[in-house]
Amino acid sequence: MSKITVPIGPQHPLLKEPLAFSLTLEGEHVIESAMRLGYVHRGIERLSQERTYVQNVHLFERVCGICSHIHTTTYCQGVEALLGLEVPPRGLYLRALLCELERIHSHLLWLGVQARNIGFDTIFMYAWRDREIVLDIMEDLSGGRVSHAVNIIGGVRIDLTTEHRDVILRQLDTLEPQIETLLDVVENERSFQARTRNIGVLSLEQIRRYCVVGPVARASGLDMDLRRDAPTPPYDRLKFRVPVRYEGDAWARTMVRMLETVESVHLCRQILTTLPDGPTSVRAKRRVPPGEVVSRAEAPRGEVIYYIRSDGSDKPARVKVRTPTLTNLITLPDQLQNISMADVSVVLSGVDLCIACADR
Amino acid sequence: MSRLLTQIYLFEEIFAALQEAFPDAEFVVEDKPVDDTFLKLAPEKVRPVAELLIEKFDIYHLSTITGDDAGDGVRLLYHFWSSYGLTLDTLLPYDNLRIPTLTDLIPGAAFYEREIQEMLGVTFEGLATPGPMFLPDDWDGSFPLRRQRLQKSQ
Repeated sequence: MSKITVPIGPQHPLLKEPLAFSLTLEGEHVIESAMRLGYVHRGIERLSQERTYVQNVHLFERVCGICSHIHTTTYCQGVEALLGLEVPPRGLYLRALLCELERIHSHLLWLGVQARNIGFDTIFMYAWRDREIVLDIMEDLSGGRVSHAVNIIGGVRIDLTTEHRDVILRQLDTLEPQIETLLDVVENERSFQARTRNIGVLSLEQIRRYCVVGPVARASGLDMDLRRDAPTPPYDRLKFRVPVRYEGDAWARTMVRMLETVESVHLCRQILTTLPDGPTSVRAKRRVPPGEVVSRAEAPRGEVIYYIRSDGSDKPARVKVRTPTLTNLITLPDQLQNISMADVSVVLSGVDLCIACADR
Repeated sequence: MSRLLTQIYLFEEIFAALQEAFPDAEFVVEDKPVDDTFLKLAPEKVRPVAELLIEKFDIYHLSTITGDDAGDGVRLLYHFWSSYGLTLDTLLPYDNLRIPTLTDLIPGAAFYEREIQEMLGVTFEGLATPGPMFLPDDWDGSFPLRRQRLQKSQ
């Protein structure tokens, strides 16, 4: 049978982000795939060397358009460690609250994209409707729907009144049954399963060799979550489960993400009801003493790692950012091997691509 | 079943095994904030040490590789993780920016090595590089994160 090469992207029909694929097909099946990154490379690591530590908080917020808060959290956590700052507990709890809200928002957004790609528009609309509740909560808290600018070096710039807390708790009460419904659809709906079961299967061995992180790894049985395995406060004081599945296919990834969303709602409630009193931030010096630090955190897509080296001035000497998508992208050629052209969209969105993150 | 966290080795155990395996090598240990330990070692020791970490301690998870033009050479930091951070820290002199690739041991290292090759001009021996990674197709061939380039633009 003759071979045809089909280009997908860079102006992507699946995601609103640029990434180019070149798929070689034999009949309906993919036999080879090549990938080209870099269409949204902004040189953020290089830019950060010219800006002060304070300015960089806003720069790193723009690494990702979905999980913007976790990037500033990881960066601030690193700089605070270099400064030897102790962030007040209330600040840490509010930080974690935003992280969990962001996880709910990211996973619901992704479920909508995935549902749209498999042609299940009803879930897409319900998921994005429910996501609005989370976006409203975040907007009320910070003033921004996706870019919150909540973190500052030394804590957070927002605070919460008791009345506001009760409003958020009521909004979470509305959200939870809706997420349970979505989970039920994903788990039991036959047409959803028909499109996602046994598609893009990754074994535990492949996951480990490719150093895959986040829900993609947890859907193949790798039980790793930095919130539990390397907890930074307040996660060491919060109770939550880490959902793990062993099928390793697109369906298992959906299940892991939806179960995580439910867990995150519980975590938000725990944080709000046990929120300690006190200040939300401390003053930080502008100059950072020489040293280096490796800071990690669990983003909605998996492990984020920042390496920061300071030479004693008010600008970092080197900041290295590794986002979870870059790691997970490397599995795509393996996943695309020998699948039908119709399933390509399910596989591509199954890893929860965030190209802006990967390119930096 | 999950195998990553079935057994966690203490850093002391790993360090003792390294000293036993490479009695003539010099390792410098430095503790860093947020639960990370840096292990300074010579460039030619990176690959054998990584092999030992994988075979003996089942540490596969390479979070990333940082390339840093430190002024006296290009520093490479291999950030491993197994419930705590373990970073292999090595310095390549400017006149010999070469190091063997780890991609045959850990295929997940490919993107990190390709990025460093492109941004800092370190050659990873044995690494497959099918074209540019982040830089444009018509890039002038210079290395964006090298110090000379930074100083020129400031």
